[in-house]
Amino acid sequence: AAAAAMWGALRGVRRPAAALRRGLAKAAGPRSIRQLREAEEAAPVFQYVGKAAKRKDRVFVWGFCYSGALGVPGFVKPDVGWKKPRRIQPTPYRLETAEKISSAACGYGFTLLSSNTTDITKVWGMGLNKDSQLGFQRSRRDRTKGYEYVLEPSPIPLPLEKPQQTRVLQVSCGRAHSLILTDSEGVFTMGNNSYGQCGRKVVEDETYSESHLIHQLKEFDSRVVQVVCGQDHSLFRTKKGAVYACGWGADGQTGLGHYNITSVPTKLQGDIAGVNIIQVSSYGDCCLAVSDEGDVFGWGNSEYLQLASVTETTQVNVPRHLPFKIGKIKEAACGGTGNIVLTEEGNVFVWGYGILGKGPNLIETAVPEMIPPSLFGWSDFNPDVRVAHVRCGLSQFAALTNRGELFVWGKNLRGCLGTGRMEDQYFPWRVTVPGEVVDVACGVDHMVSMVKSFT
Amino acid sequence: VQGPRFRQLKIGAGHRLDVKASGVFVLGIGHGNKLLTDLYNCHLTKVYTVGGLFGKATDDFSDTGKLVEKTTFDHITREKLERILAVIQGTNHKALLMHSNIDMKTQEAYELAVKGLIRPMGKSPPIITAIRCLQFALPEFQLEIHCLHETQQYLRKIVHEIGLELKSSAVCTQVRRIRDGVFTLDDALLRTQWNLQSIQNAIWDCQLKVKTELEKTLG
Repeated sequence: AAAAAMWGALRGVRRPAAALRRGLAKAAGPRSIRQLREAEEAAPVFQYVGKAAKRKDRVFVWGFCYSGALGVPGFVKPDVGWKKPRRIQPTPYRLETAEKISSAACGYGFTLLSSNTTDITKVWGMGLNKDSQLGFQRSRRDRTKGYEYVLEPSPIPLPLEKPQQTRVLQVSCGRAHSLILTDSEGVFTMGNNSYGQCGRKVVEDETYSESHLIHQLKEFDSRVVQVVCGQDHSLFRTKKGAVYACGWGADGQTGLGHYNITSVPTKLQGDIAGVNIIQVSSYGDCCLAVSDEGDVFGWGNSEYLQLASVTETTQVNVPRHLPFKIGKIKEAACGGTGNIVLTEEGNVFVWGYGILGKGPNLIETAVPEMIPPSLFGWSDFNPDVRVAHVRCGLSQFAALTNRGELFVWGKNLRGCLGTGRMEDQYFPWRVTVPGEVVDVACGVDHMVSMVKSFT
Repeated sequence: VQGPRFRQLKIGAGHRLDVKASGVFVLGIGHGNKLLTDLYNCHLTKVYTVGGLFGKATDDFSDTGKLVEKTTFDHITREKLERILAVIQGTNHKALLMHSNIDMKTQEAYELAVKGLIRPMGKSPPIITAIRCLQFALPEFQLEIHCLHETQQYLRKIVHEIGLELKSSAVCTQVRRIRDGVFTLDDALLRTQWNLQSIQNAIWDCQLKVKTELEKTLG
């Protein structure tokens, strides 16, 4: 109507032909079902992920930040002026890594991450470096000095003969030393060697900080398949089922029959001589080994009743068989004061001292006690939920189920449990991680987990 | 005396049921209204079958709403869906323990957690106690959800969020309550049975069940 009025005002001017006239819009009313259906079918379809989309691998960290062990520099030195340094990260925080991390280990204030790639950089370290447990990290400000604290995952240069063929299988960290296991070039050790835990002769008055020395160990009876660090000692498990040890032995944790320091990896005898050991574990001063027939052997510190089922002495320096009648054992893990085992049926047993996971009333026991599977998500509704792996930190425990859920319990030292609360946890509690947890490494006051995303 | 048997009846409704949903709906008549409040304080779980459809996202999360987006869904497998459901169950289980207001450091909290009897006995946000996939035929799927303190719109939102988590989109086609506390589909009266005799029989049959449940929970 407006157009017609305009044209009418200009009398004498020819109106434009019908083809050039603007079509006026029709009044909009409620759309009919047919119109709705047609609009719906004409709508574009978005594709967010294709059929062959792969699940992504991620790393999550949580716990005490000031040591730099979490690998997020923004927690210790914020990049923006108004942000404050974060002392504790109470819930899982995603850590960006350059490659897919296949093995991680938490030491006492530092972390090692390794990938089984054939690229030149295979191992990254972060956290405390006062004893060169992360190798020599050249400082950018002064090229002659090294960093004492490494705040970001930094590559650790290894003296490999064939750097583009060797793969790093596993890493392990102790109090001030670390072990790196490769598939064809033996074991590399670095860090503090005051007790011979790096497998080389103790040098008096050696300064370990800013040291370039990385020792390589190759003389074992067969290929080494697992390396484990205790607090100040190291354990090596070979393919033939033998166990070697070196380091501090005042609690008998080297299992070699004496309480002295050992600086060369020596084979253990005792009850495990001739037995095919399939897994070793240690974190404090007690050690456990699992044989292929499901038996468990222990040696080392027993002040917290860890080995009280076989002996009254508080130090055991020879591996002893622990005669538990709980079924065939699949996996074992040692903490500072408590031990945990997983049987073939999927049951979890704990013993020792501390918060063991059966409520505040159970503080110590010499005989393994089972943790009811209903605490790990088992119920009549989900009868096939089972615990797949167990791990131990210094005073906390972690269990992974076959559904990819992570349960933690124990002393919540500086938020290391990752539950979001600061209180100790007396029975298994779920940690909310946005993904399926594949593996977890527990340290003294922090934890690292390797997670696969859902889709 | 002549006239209708009942001239005025006090009727109260139990847990709400949407217009778009269907299923068991508990009503109390006369003195039964007092039992309704007691049943509400028992905080028992309700079970729903929820039907969903992949590929669409609408503004009110159901298939009758205005279309917001269409997405592909051929990458979704039953295994991925079950993984997401396991995580939903895990986080809700955590919420269950947290809202139950029991001190986690006591031995009795541990005992209750082992038996699985920890439940929020007061006001709490909606919590899903169990969820599983009954049927899966792309693009449709059906879930069975056990929940507490929920609304049907919350269940539709869960279906939408499952779609988002699987990097696609989903709408809810059907919400049907199959159990409300002690009352199941077998106790429910059909539209053809809405007469005095069947109602009286139903009340008579349920009396014992309700009494035992109230005694067990409220003591």
